Amino acid sequence: MRDRIRRYVYFTMTIVAVFVVLKTLNWIPLVLQQGTLRTYDSIEAVKAKLNIRDIRVPTYFPQSVTWPPSEIWAQTKPYVATLMVFRRAGTIGPALVISQAASDRTALDDRIRILQVKESVPYDLKGRNALLKVGICEQNDVCSRISWNEGNSAMTVTMKSSPFELIKIAEGLVP
Amino acid sequence: MNITDILQSLAGRYVTQSFLHAFIAVIITDGALRAWKIEDPAVKQRFRILTVLFPIFSFPFYQLINPDRGSLLFRTGALFDSGRWMGMALFGVVPLHFFFLFLLAGTTLVFFFQELVPILKHMRESDTEVDEACDPAGKDLVDEALMSLPMARPRTVIIDDGDMVLFSSTGRAPTVFVSSGLLQALNREQVRAALAHEIAHIMRSRRPILLATFLLRMIMFFNPMVLVEFRRAVRNEEKICDDIAVSVTGRPDALAETLKKFYSSPGRSPDAAKKLLSTDVPLEEYSHDLQLESRITRLEKAGLKNRGGGWFPFTIVLLVMSAVCYFVV
Repeated sequence: MRDRIRRYVYFTMTIVAVFVVLKTLNWIPLVLQQGTLRTYDSIEAVKAKLNIRDIRVPTYFPQSVTWPPSEIWAQTKPYVATLMVFRRAGTIGPALVISQAASDRTALDDRIRILQVKESVPYDLKGRNALLKVGICEQNDVCSRISWNEGNSAMTVTMKSSPFELIKIAEGLVP
Repeated sequence: MNITDILQSLAGRYVTQSFLHAFIAVIITDGALRAWKIEDPAVKQRFRILTVLFPIFSFPFYQLINPDRGSLLFRTGALFDSGRWMGMALFGVVPLHFFFLFLLAGTTLVFFFQELVPILKHMRESDTEVDEACDPAGKDLVDEALMSLPMARPRTVIIDDGDMVLFSSTGRAPTVFVSSGLLQALNREQVRAALAHEIAHIMRSRRPILLATFLLRMIMFFNPMVLVEFRRAVRNEEKICDDIAVSVTGRPDALAETLKKFYSSPGRSPDAAKKLLSTDVPLEEYSHDLQLESRITRLEKAGLKNRGGGWFPFTIVLLVMSAVCYFVV
């Protein structure tokens, strides 16, 4: 019986060791490299710590969505990218996501996933060639996404709503 | 599209995660084998095959149950996110993903030249007709040994060669090849043991599970951990065939004595093999001798006490590695 317990203890220790090593290995890049993707408390903190100057914030903001962002993600490695997640008052899940990435790279915009695209049309956003997508997200919510290039950045705005509010927010991001 | 984008694509994530999952599977499996003191080569091989097959299916299975596994939110809460390391650069210059890709490329070359080419060559040779009467000197000895074995008699070819040669080809016409030099060096019981071992290989080569494992293992041609684990499974196969030979002949000592003839340098003792690291013998010969030594020691232990762990540890290992690897992206 004692031998059997010893076997289980030994195996459990192996699993705990694997767990600790993986956690440590996952933490090391955060320490060694300042620009690894992580969360920040404020846009000012991102600007100060990562030296990203050009973070676009919308000039129009619907009343239903709460300010400041509930989550702010940023990285400079392997490429510069920021992500702001906003919620509606009294809800938990993301309602609006604004993503900004180096223009030739993938935007960090997977917080609101369009499961089924109903319509995808080119849109003239204050003289920029934008692509507007309208579709269905989880729980059958209507959601829309608009993406365009702004200088050296690829901008993507995704919202759980019809495209009308989304376009207003996007126009507020274009100088 | 640059390397970072490729690694973040579905195919890139499959390659990266299958490597990580294989690595974790090996550590967990080795821990379980030690914890339960599993010594039965057939049970050990079952665990090895698990570590070979697990990374092939883990990523697609996890993606099926949760397509959001690649999302930002999941990666941030994961136990280990490979993207963090792949995004780093050594001294700020050489990206770490470069070393990862270098490892995969090296493994692919090893797989191609050390596994695929020899197997294809072996298959071609298996189908080639052989002159069975090329050296009839030891024919009587072989016939006598085969007659006394309660196993299906395969075609046997005696090669006129003074070296110690013993191998079998499987294919459509399974054949045992034995050199005249070996027959001169072995007594009757040892020839029996040697032939029983080779016949065991032929018998087991017809099991579809082993063939299926090899075919599936080819999908992981780039994965260094799978390469190592597959070779460990093959080494277990030798011990399994030793066990079959002993169960048929009842003479582990005869098989052990036979194996001693195969040390890379004639007259080298098992103890001498331990000192090989301090000599200038090639690494391949050193590895060959160590494997032989491990088999001989096992045979010389009284009665081949095999301790298996049954299916319970196997199930626990599978569940634990599935749970841990789910959070490794």
